[in-house]
Amino acid sequence: MSTELHKSGNLLRRLLRQKEIQIFVLLGVVFLLIFNYMPLMGVVIAFKDYSITSGIPGIFKAPFNNFAHFKEFFSDRRFMDLLRNTVCLSVLKLICTFPAPIILAILINEVRNKAFKRIVQTVSYLPNFISWVLVLNLATFFFSENKGVFNEIFMGLGLLKQPVNWLTSPGAFYGFSSALAVWKTMGWWAIIYLASITSIDPALYEAAGIDGAGRIQKILHITFPGIKGAIITVLILSIGGLLGGGMGGANFEQSYLFGNVMNNSTSEIIQTHAFKLGLAEGRFAYATAVDLCQSCISILLILVSNKAAKMISGDGIF
Amino acid sequence: MNKVKKTSEDWIVDIVTWGILLIILFITLYPFYYILVASFNDGNDLTRGGVYFWPRKFTLDNYMLFFGKQSWINSLWVSIFRTVVGSALTLVFTSLISYGLSRPELIFKKFYRFLFIFSMYVSGGLIPYYVMLRNLHLLNKIWVYVIPTMLNLFFVLVGISFFESIPASLLESARLDGAAEIVIFIRIVLPVSVPFLATLALFAAVGQWNAWLDSAYYVNADHLRTLAYRMMSEINRAAGAASNQNVDTLVTSPTVMTTMATAMCVSMLPIICVYPFLQRYFVQGIMIGSVKE
Repeated sequence: MSTELHKSGNLLRRLLRQKEIQIFVLLGVVFLLIFNYMPLMGVVIAFKDYSITSGIPGIFKAPFNNFAHFKEFFSDRRFMDLLRNTVCLSVLKLICTFPAPIILAILINEVRNKAFKRIVQTVSYLPNFISWVLVLNLATFFFSENKGVFNEIFMGLGLLKQPVNWLTSPGAFYGFSSALAVWKTMGWWAIIYLASITSIDPALYEAAGIDGAGRIQKILHITFPGIKGAIITVLILSIGGLLGGGMGGANFEQSYLFGNVMNNSTSEIIQTHAFKLGLAEGRFAYATAVDLCQSCISILLILVSNKAAKMISGDGIF
Repeated sequence: MNKVKKTSEDWIVDIVTWGILLIILFITLYPFYYILVASFNDGNDLTRGGVYFWPRKFTLDNYMLFFGKQSWINSLWVSIFRTVVGSALTLVFTSLISYGLSRPELIFKKFYRFLFIFSMYVSGGLIPYYVMLRNLHLLNKIWVYVIPTMLNLFFVLVGISFFESIPASLLESARLDGAAEIVIFIRIVLPVSVPFLATLALFAAVGQWNAWLDSAYYVNADHLRTLAYRMMSEINRAAGAASNQNVDTLVTSPTVMTTMATAMCVSMLPIICVYPFLQRYFVQGIMIGSVKE
């Protein structure tokens, strides 16, 4: 019986017996072939002189051009700016968005008033559900130089002497976009920590209380170690998506929406550059090459962080 | 909790926590509230500044203006269409596939799962994808909003671990009765998967409602612009006009800003109405997805 199991006729029979679930899955596989794996093969145009009018066959027929697109990108006078912005913004956003939800979760956990706790939690998720476009619009109302509410209030309080245009000054972009990323993602990621706090054994707190530990000591020695696992998991996830913008996952959207002619030198990243070249200027093959550079750095980061995570916690994404 | 006398440390921790949380509450809520106020305030009056907590010159004109403008109405319908149709497609397609992938007897399971997980991390990037859509003749069609979004890879993984947790005995009895898999899926699996389905529906719907990138990438026709896209292009136009400081823009920009505020309120309304009620589901959902047990 068991030897027969390996025969191909048997495999076919087994497949036929489960043909329905095979069909369910194959629907998805076909979808992936069309929308993921075919475009993945299309990446070869990064190495070719490709014209979009030649369609899909053209992807394979076009001649290789000896890395001309990559050479052009690396020697672009804006290359260093783009690389710096991409890496700095990603790292800065990770540094800002990673600890914020941990702190928020611990603060929420310290609230004894149930109603207040619920209100804070519900409200803190809200920014996660609105689009970056809406954040841009809110920011325009609040942070523009002319009649921006933020400037009005801070000047009224005497904290600012002159109105600052947060949306267009190049010096403000890094900090400004990191702050918005924190605003948008903090409440959402706190969910994970709050859930893992609830799984901490209450007896630990009681025992610590009997031993005379105060609330700050309980936070440091019970709550914090109790959510360490969740912290590591989230850290792995966000390092994996580092170049995408970390926990907010919105480097592209932020740079695209908040970038303008004035703050271009600090807001433009590799991805927005690729987008503008590709779809706006029609340089498809070159833009693919630029995009590919970003993906390579990204994959490298995921592999490294997964390895590191496995070493630290014995568990990785894959 | 027993009534224990508060120590001074307790007081300090309480005050600090409440203080910080109240500030967070304020900076999270106030921008939305301000937009609501602005949308009910007269446009010219708003530009004089100083409106913070209550409309100074109350008016419904902004809403009349918004709902009277064909371009906004059009975008509203596009967004409604993609939210309803797109979420329905995602819900059916994604849950069906993840159910298939969750079956323990599935042959080639490892290979299939690899295909899905690999796609999550590696993609061809924007341009080859664009070329693909172009050759599928999806560019500049409303279907470009709902067909490529049918499969949500993250929720395939969430779905697999959710469906795996359904007791096998539940499915076994139906299978012995000779029921077809699709019938088992609809009659038995779906009814016990409400938390997963609700989370998926919420995320698909919110994603569709908020979407603007695909409208920027793959669509040129003005009548196919989504609400979010139109908000972006309008605010950029207003900001551009304001920085030019033309005389005529100073006259027209007040109503632009209040119309913007109105559009923002309209686009926020469904989200604010829906998400608090689905809270317990998505809290479960995100836990299944991100924390391995």
